[in-house]
Amino acid sequence: MLLSTRGLTKRFGGLCALDGVSLELREREILGVIGPNGAGKTTLFSLISGSQRPTSGEILLDGQRVSGLPAHRCVRAGIVRTHQIVRPFGGLTVFENVLVAAIHSRRPAASHARDRTAEVLEFVGLADRTTQYPSTLTLGGRKRLELARALSTQPRVLLLDEVIAGINPAEAMAFAALIRRVRDERAIAVVMTEHVMPAVMSLSDRVIVLDHGKQIADGTPQQVVANPHVIAAYLGTTETEAAAS
Amino acid sequence: MTEPSPSTPPSGAAARPTRVAPVPELISRPEGVGFLACVAALAVLPLVLELSAYAHNLITLALVMIAGALAWNWMGGFVGQVSFGHAAMFGIGGFVTGRLMLSLHLPGPACWLGGAIVAGVFALGAHPMLRLRGPYFSIATIGVGEASRLVFTYWERFTGGSTGLSLPIDSDAKYCLYWWALGLAGVVAAASVVIRRSSLGLKLLAIKSDVDAAADVGISATFYQDLIFALSGAVVGLAGGLYASYFSFIEPKDMFGFDRSIGFVLMAVIGGVGTPLGPVLGAVVFVLLRTYLLASYPQLYLGLYGLLLIFIILFEPLGLIGLSRRVLRRLRRRGAGTSVMP
Amino acid sequence: MSRFFDMILSAVLLAGLYATMAYGLGLIYGVLRVVNLAHGGVIMAGAYLGWYLHERFGLDPYLSIPVVLGFSFLLGVVMYQVLVRRLPRGAAGGPASLLLLFGVWLVLRNIAYLTFTGDDQTIRTAYSSRSVSILGSPVSVNRLVVLGIALVIAVSLHGFLKRTQVGRAIRAVAQNADSCTLVGIDVNRIYTLSFGIGTALSGVAGVLLATIFSFNPDAGSSELLKSFVVVVLGGLGSIFGVGIAALIVAAAEVFAILVLPSYLTTAVGFLLLVLVLIFRPGGLFGQRVLS
Repeated sequence: MLLSTRGLTKRFGGLCALDGVSLELREREILGVIGPNGAGKTTLFSLISGSQRPTSGEILLDGQRVSGLPAHRCVRAGIVRTHQIVRPFGGLTVFENVLVAAIHSRRPAASHARDRTAEVLEFVGLADRTTQYPSTLTLGGRKRLELARALSTQPRVLLLDEVIAGINPAEAMAFAALIRRVRDERAIAVVMTEHVMPAVMSLSDRVIVLDHGKQIADGTPQQVVANPHVIAAYLGTTETEAAAS
Repeated sequence: MTEPSPSTPPSGAAARPTRVAPVPELISRPEGVGFLACVAALAVLPLVLELSAYAHNLITLALVMIAGALAWNWMGGFVGQVSFGHAAMFGIGGFVTGRLMLSLHLPGPACWLGGAIVAGVFALGAHPMLRLRGPYFSIATIGVGEASRLVFTYWERFTGGSTGLSLPIDSDAKYCLYWWALGLAGVVAAASVVIRRSSLGLKLLAIKSDVDAAADVGISATFYQDLIFALSGAVVGLAGGLYASYFSFIEPKDMFGFDRSIGFVLMAVIGGVGTPLGPVLGAVVFVLLRTYLLASYPQLYLGLYGLLLIFIILFEPLGLIGLSRRVLRRLRRRGAGTSVMP
Repeated sequence: MSRFFDMILSAVLLAGLYATMAYGLGLIYGVLRVVNLAHGGVIMAGAYLGWYLHERFGLDPYLSIPVVLGFSFLLGVVMYQVLVRRLPRGAAGGPASLLLLFGVWLVLRNIAYLTFTGDDQTIRTAYSSRSVSILGSPVSVNRLVVLGIALVIAVSLHGFLKRTQVGRAIRAVAQNADSCTLVGIDVNRIYTLSFGIGTALSGVAGVLLATIFSFNPDAGSSELLKSFVVVVLGGLGSIFGVGIAALIVAAAEVFAILVLPSYLTTAVGFLLLVLVLIFRPGGLFGQRVLS
């Protein structure tokens, strides 16, 4: 078990964004997280990546508690995220954007970091844009940059927040291939949330479904798609819920 | 789609890629030589020319301010946290130096070091403020500056109140201070370039661009901001100490004054906020401008500073450095003839 | 006990002034996301204008408010159109906007130095030294009038923002400027208007200040600090919230005299700011946007 959460809960004042979510992520696995809007997917990511602290519950990486660690410590531990709305460092070139993430120790082996950077940029297909600034890239390019930046921190767990949304189908397919390569060639476990159903269903090994902060299903994509609770959550029909219970 | 570059192995291979990105040197040979030449020239200047006391004063002041402006720029330019209260650390450095000299009779360098350390610690004490972003931080620094001025003005036993402190200094020592100031300015300038080009500088730029995203890639904003603020404070404190020694009379109203803080801001902005050496130009221009204005148009200097700030922000945010880059680019384009492809 | 009541009364009277100052800063920040660092300078300019009209024409300071209002409004419009508007998009809240407006503050200071002297001034009318008795405590007439005017301003501002079309447009732009262009609101015009109204409020606060305190061209930094504390504490969500925050700040200052030596009372503003920013940056009501 690479990453697991137990009873992860996040409350904002009176609102319960996430309620007792317990998931498991194994090595070399792509876990999809789906659910209607407001289900708590981004909150889940924020908690795991350290951007926010859980109200209660635990997050374990390799059996070690990482819940409550601030974001930069989570990265050092091996958990890194990308953002739903890409956030490149505007004042840095493409190369520097990735390099600054590759140097994540205080005494960098400078040459190793630069090599890693070059390799990662090659991997995502931005090797010809290294001296350009993020503002000159298309959205697809910026998403690749975001991915490259995350990969250069040498993570064990990669959290992808709606990477496929908003880019054209050709790019989306290329991205999907990249994600598979991340799992296969780089042995990184991936958690991805997505609204683009075909993408997440075809990529994920397993899927969990959130609704109103609670986990309502867990299984293979086929199992989840057929689950009446899941259908009800997306369609919002109370009769289906009643019939299923 | 990109083609695999010749220096990377075919995809799928687990072999380590050959080195494709050489590590750039922090300071190139010609730059290093040029820098040392400038320093050497300035070092022999007083020996070669018969400098009047006035000129000696002016150059020493400029050198001290160069150090202060560069240090301010580490915060305001590299990290992007604009401080309107740096006078607090300048004043602390100056008065700690004065007190150490008067009460403990320590030699100059020891006093300056003491001033720098206390100023640096003071800056660290502002740690909770460093969590603030942008305008919140800047306004908080206005508060720090003003509060310091009030507290230190009335702390008579430490600063001598409105009468200030007179430091003992003989003319030989004063003459030597020129080289101490040159040394300080030189070291700080070199440090500025090194920081900017090193991984530290990259991390600071990342923090400046997007604090949260920086954390998301493993950069601890609190740690680096603390570090830079402490360094910046210590160097400005050092500058304050040298200033105190050289001009041998200091008072809280001037050392901790808002005008003093404004001065640092202006020096960096005029020269080029965020550029590693812009503040050098800015400090020189500022000192000359100030001396000239105070002599000829004392009643206009504030307004002229204001107009200068406005102009620079709107038309050339990188100040003199930005201006010179633009000029160079235009010259280069003209020199390249009619070829168009960039 | 009566001493305590005196102090509470002082705080309430002062709160009116602080609230008016805060509205000016808060409106500009809420709509444009720009911290008007020239705020203190505009307050000072308003104070001098009121003083000048009184000295030269014998105009009662409270009657000169419409003039100061108009003048400060125009000043704000010019500041926005000529300067702030030229900032690159996305520069709001960044160092560029801060430095730009700071430059304006310096210019205002200089103009004041040139036009008047650097001496302390204050507006003294025939009734300045008179006081009225409220529940046994003597209250300066000026302070009472200032509170009254502040209340009128608060109510008018509230009505303007909630009930007029322009006011609603301002609130809409504060929430989401981009969406507003989609529905046909001239965002630039709203920005200009908001900036102007903001500086108008600051200018009026200046006149009010001038009737109670003395001032000189250097005045403004502690006013800026206090306004900022009130805005952060009170949030931008409600006129009422700002009023409460102003009361808290005023009370802190009044009661600080009991604990702190007199010269540090101006530092109270700063202390409060640091405390608020560290412990409750979301303000008392946790809101950040004009709603």
